[in-house]
Amino acid sequence: MVTLDLSQLNITEANLKIRECGRKGEDVEIINPDARHNIGVGLVEPITVRVRGSAGYFCGGLTDSAHFEIENNAGWAAGDNIYNGSVIVGGNAGAIAGVGLRGGEVVIRGNMGSRAGQIMKAGTLCCGGKAAFMAGYMMYGGRIIILGDAAEKVGQDMSAGEIFVGGQIESLGSDAEIVDLAPGDLESIQEFLDRYGMSFDGTFTKVASAGKKLRYNKQEPRHRPQPFFVHSKSSDYWNPKVQEDIWIKGEVGRYRIRGYGASKPVPHLNDIAFARDVSSVEANVGAVEGINLRTKVGGRYGAKPLDLSMPVMIAPMSFGALSRSVKIALARASRLSGISENTGEGGMMDQQRDEADQLVFQMLSGRLGWNVKDMQRADAIEIYISQGAKPGLGGQLMAKKVTPELAAIRGIPVGIDLRSPSRHPDVLGADDLVIKMDELREAVGHRIPLGLKMGAGRVKDDIKIAYKDGFDFVELDGLQGSTGAASTEVLENVGIPTISAIQEAVDGLNEINADDDMQLVLMGGIKDGVDAVKMMALGAHCVSVGTAAIIAGGCIACMQCHVGTCPVGIATQDPAHESRYDIDRQAQNMHRFFESMRWQMAAITKALGYDDIHRVSRDDLVALTPEVADITGLPYVPGHRDHARADDDLSSLSRKAG
Amino acid sequence: MCGIAGILYKQAGSHELGHALIDMLDGCQHRGPDSTGFALYGDRQEHLQLRFIVPTDEAGRDKAIDNIRSLLTKHNASIVEELSVGCSYKISVKFEGDLLDFTKDIEEHAKLVSVGHTLDIIKDDGTAHQVDDTYHVSEFKGSHGIGHVRLATESAVRPEAAHPFWATGFEDIAIVHNGQLTNYWKMRRRLQRRGFTFHTDNDSELVAVYLADKLAQGNTLEQALQTAIEDMDGTFSFLVSTPTEIGFAKDHLAAKPMVLLETDDLIAVASEEVSLNRLFPGQAINSTEPAPGTYQTWSL
Repeated sequence: MVTLDLSQLNITEANLKIRECGRKGEDVEIINPDARHNIGVGLVEPITVRVRGSAGYFCGGLTDSAHFEIENNAGWAAGDNIYNGSVIVGGNAGAIAGVGLRGGEVVIRGNMGSRAGQIMKAGTLCCGGKAAFMAGYMMYGGRIIILGDAAEKVGQDMSAGEIFVGGQIESLGSDAEIVDLAPGDLESIQEFLDRYGMSFDGTFTKVASAGKKLRYNKQEPRHRPQPFFVHSKSSDYWNPKVQEDIWIKGEVGRYRIRGYGASKPVPHLNDIAFARDVSSVEANVGAVEGINLRTKVGGRYGAKPLDLSMPVMIAPMSFGALSRSVKIALARASRLSGISENTGEGGMMDQQRDEADQLVFQMLSGRLGWNVKDMQRADAIEIYISQGAKPGLGGQLMAKKVTPELAAIRGIPVGIDLRSPSRHPDVLGADDLVIKMDELREAVGHRIPLGLKMGAGRVKDDIKIAYKDGFDFVELDGLQGSTGAASTEVLENVGIPTISAIQEAVDGLNEINADDDMQLVLMGGIKDGVDAVKMMALGAHCVSVGTAAIIAGGCIACMQCHVGTCPVGIATQDPAHESRYDIDRQAQNMHRFFESMRWQMAAITKALGYDDIHRVSRDDLVALTPEVADITGLPYVPGHRDHARADDDLSSLSRKAG
Repeated sequence: MCGIAGILYKQAGSHELGHALIDMLDGCQHRGPDSTGFALYGDRQEHLQLRFIVPTDEAGRDKAIDNIRSLLTKHNASIVEELSVGCSYKISVKFEGDLLDFTKDIEEHAKLVSVGHTLDIIKDDGTAHQVDDTYHVSEFKGSHGIGHVRLATESAVRPEAAHPFWATGFEDIAIVHNGQLTNYWKMRRRLQRRGFTFHTDNDSELVAVYLADKLAQGNTLEQALQTAIEDMDGTFSFLVSTPTEIGFAKDHLAAKPMVLLETDDLIAVASEEVSLNRLFPGQAINSTEPAPGTYQTWSL
């Protein structure tokens, strides 16, 4: 047994030593823990760690196969996301004990705080005392055993799993109900209690999902939505798109769901032109040579940055919204073009990991597919707070797409209409976020960058929080960003346009005199290399493309991504539909599209008189509309429409170059 | 975007209050690195104690202090003692009029942050230890106090936006708050109609004014906290202190953390146990987490 003294070691040093002991198979004793956070995070070896005192937040979190014994209390999120192994707390535990459990056992001998077992998916969370408010909130599976009383709203919005309460239940949560014990339930509980030397001689009440909420009974009629307003002769207000919307709501009686992003005109990069005549690009067919496009993202605190061959990333999109085949094609295209791929929600696939040279692993509120082992093989990790298409909402995946394979990787029941929570269980403010960020960095030994994915809302404040909390980079997503499924109300009406987002971000960082060390990656309606250069001139360090990549890879933009029967095999989990997708061909198409972006970026950079794309600036841009001039502060020069036409010419040139 | 801490010693007398709060706030400084503040309660002073935030450049400071002096003259208040330190100007004054009118007028023309016979609010940019270096908080002996660390999102980190907040118009009352009120504007308009003025857009200032108003109407601190939980919408954990009490209130959703420790000698409350543990290094402490939607007070 190795003794580590936390009054002498900081937590990073201690965790490195704990992992070293893990590799040697030696148990560890922690003295003077004094409720410090993130003890043992990232341990993936089957050793025992004894904490002589109290632990802070995330004790034993993001671990696999390890055993933790905490003599006294634990702070928030004891045993966060463990896969196997156990975390035993001798005293009381704070809020969200056993959050996001994927297996293993968390035992709290005393009382446990609010929202215990939130979004847990498997394993057992057992509490010897009382459970506070909302035990089992949004749980997807597994078992919670509470020997004492349970406070209000037990099992609030649970999708599956079982909660056994030995004491009084103050009230049930919405969509939870009391059910009869099944044969074997009590024997299984008794066996568990015996193993931990816990005694109980009463009866249990069993709580399970009532399954009445979160189901769509009536489907929308199948049709191809009208992407934009079509002005009728008599009226441009009650136009056919508006009428159609009203008819369909009259039929289904609820909000409508579709894929893609806002389909209304908003100020965008088309309203911006280059201040100089860039028509000389025509002579620059070979422009890629001699122009530096290389871009590093995420080295703010000494982690190994993403090293991109050009300032382009592939936007986060989930295996779930998209088929396995498309994720493989995207990963391959990212490798061929020397850029990064992103897992999005829903976990990392082996083939995706193998195909992509640089892979960003995204953590969302539901922690679907999130786990320490994939974190440790990622090239960057990213906390998703929200996305441009639907700020403030969690992901939605309609039942048709929740196949057995997909459910297994996410750890959820097959065939539910899956809602991810709208917020993280353990991030309820910038203050909690700091501790969560530390946990993630501890789990990967501070080796890889930690980014933030954020939909554009109150960007000016949020970007300051991101900077002060210490993110390495921020992916900022405007209103035009797309999604696999969201309500049209949110798609069309929530968020701010991408150009407003970049401007607010730049202004916010300037206001606090931030150094240039947290990179801004902008996304939301970036359709080509011309947009990318404009965005970088506005202050972005890099752009991210999702929809454009998918369209390059075969999407026909029918906006029915949520239905699950994508005719080209992209937004589907149906094997028959997916079989239509030709991975090899589409990966090449996407790769060629990225190469066309490369050429466009290089050619414009050269035409603007630079040899490095990172030297473009606001001085290179003018606004073509007063509205965009107002948003961006760029000079309003309507006469530059001629140059805007030169931009259009570039699109045709890119074909020539490709 | 904050961390909070409070402590009350059960035995009357002078305790190492400053030290204790610095330790606790240093323990949760990760929750708010931009500014740190203290509301400290010591022996009752003969004269009214006022602390102002003034500019740190000499010219600006002289001008602000001249202005404060003329305001005091206008209200027949005379300075007995004065101290200019850091970004603050502290005075004790002889004053015999109506405190509410007096402070209301002064607050319109100067940045008054602390008023009372037992209370001193010290707040500035920087960490707990940095604030201590300037203001010598660690030398403060007293009976109880509360403190706060803050992450700012406004353009410049301004000391007057730091916590604790003094309850406008009512001496010796202070609050610290962690969280966000979502019905801020609605409640602010309600209090403005009752004659209160607001000097920041900070929702924590509203908590202070709300409680002061309730206390002025004759409610006990407990009653004020009880109605606060019903009236305030959003996520919050806050601490309040009066000359003889400290109390907390916690929202219905338990969205902001708070842990509590009671020993034979003291009551300590903080955002995180790591702060409480600073009072007892190397020992396991027997803390509890208050339930959602609850409040509690303790008296000296």
